[in-house]
Amino acid sequence: MAMAALRREGRRFAPMISPRPITALRSSPLAPSLEDECPIGVRYISTQVVRNRMKSVKNIQKITKAMKMVAASKLRAIQTKAENSRGLWQPFTALLGDLPSANVKKNVVVTISSDKGLCGGINSTSVKISKGLHKLNSGPEKETKYVILGEKAKAQLVRDSKKDIELIITELQKNPLNYTQVSVLADEILKNVEYDALRIVFNKFHSVVSFVPTVSTVLSPEIVEREAESGGKLGDLDSYEVEGGETKGEILQNLAEFQFSCVMFNAVLENACSEQGARMSAMDSSSRNAGDMLDRLTLTYNRTRQASITTELIEIISGASALEG
Amino acid sequence: MTLNLCVLTPNRIVWDSEVKEIILSTNSGQIGVLPNHAPIATAVDIGILRIRLNDQWLTMALMGGFARIGNNEITIFVNDAEKGSDIDPQEAQQALEIDEMHNLACLFVNVK
Repeated sequence: MAMAALRREGRRFAPMISPRPITALRSSPLAPSLEDECPIGVRYISTQVVRNRMKSVKNIQKITKAMKMVAASKLRAIQTKAENSRGLWQPFTALLGDLPSANVKKNVVVTISSDKGLCGGINSTSVKISKGLHKLNSGPEKETKYVILGEKAKAQLVRDSKKDIELIITELQKNPLNYTQVSVLADEILKNVEYDALRIVFNKFHSVVSFVPTVSTVLSPEIVEREAESGGKLGDLDSYEVEGGETKGEILQNLAEFQFSCVMFNAVLENACSEQGARMSAMDSSSRNAGDMLDRLTLTYNRTRQASITTELIEIISGASALEG
Repeated sequence: MTLNLCVLTPNRIVWDSEVKEIILSTNSGQIGVLPNHAPIATAVDIGILRIRLNDQWLTMALMGGFARIGNNEITIFVNDAEKGSDIDPQEAQQALEIDEMHNLACLFVNVK
């Protein structure tokens, strides 16, 4: 009874008798995960093991905090560029319209993703939408091909849609993004891929916590002509007298190429912003998780330490009382 | 009745306000645009855009693109644009000379 009382008191109170690590020999209620690290026969976790765990969790917390700050500063840099480029595609939409529902034979889905990981779920949502578009637009006469920008989408799409991939471009963000680079890229895509409609899938950056996956459609000039003649949204394209160059077709071709490169530029910038924002929030939540884990480990560590101290006390006292009595 | 002019480049908005008249240089020559012009969509060559505000003419250099004119709204969309006042003549002269020498050097390489 006296020993039970002592044991209870020892657990409530933390005497600093000796700070040296003790491998105690009694059992105690501990988190199941720590018990796998013990050799068989020892029913206690040594404080050494818990301390090592705490050290590594603390390091991870520091790293994720640093990554969050780096992502925040990169976000600030790209955000102004992205906002400036938003005004770009509005004149095109006003002139040529944005028709996601255009029924075309050859679709090309341009998926924009990031090269590095640890950025939350944005790449998976882009890939899901690309696959959905592919399914929607595959049928007897229609076909869909992929053009992939970024390592993450490549990894996911190469697994099941290898035969549908036309072009893969990676390491886009090695140099800071500017329009010339993107227009060269757009040129490459236009040269190598036959298309009636290009659907660009990217994550639009609304705010630091909200990234909406979006699809922008760019139609080839022939389809634009066809839609303009059939009336509807593009009907007033014909009311514009088109000048400069030999034929209207040539102008429309130039216009379509220009539109594609502008929309791509905007899409790539927005996706880069979304990537940094998603990385910020992912790293933030992992820092918080690491903090929680650290708290739990500290409690476990203290309990272990106190229990072993109590055990030692009890042994001493019971030994002493045995000598007396 | 004034025209609303908007000059856009991929990196920024260069001009966005009202003007009286503009002179634009296209593939097929220069066109002048006054209020109530017919709607027109045209390609813009590398050249000079002149803007008139109240009897004063401003110039801007454009690096090619498109223009859309309709309903007293002009949207000019180019790869790059520089206002005349922002161009330093010395710098431009030096750049011109470097380019000319570069062109000559290329010629020599090709001839060999």
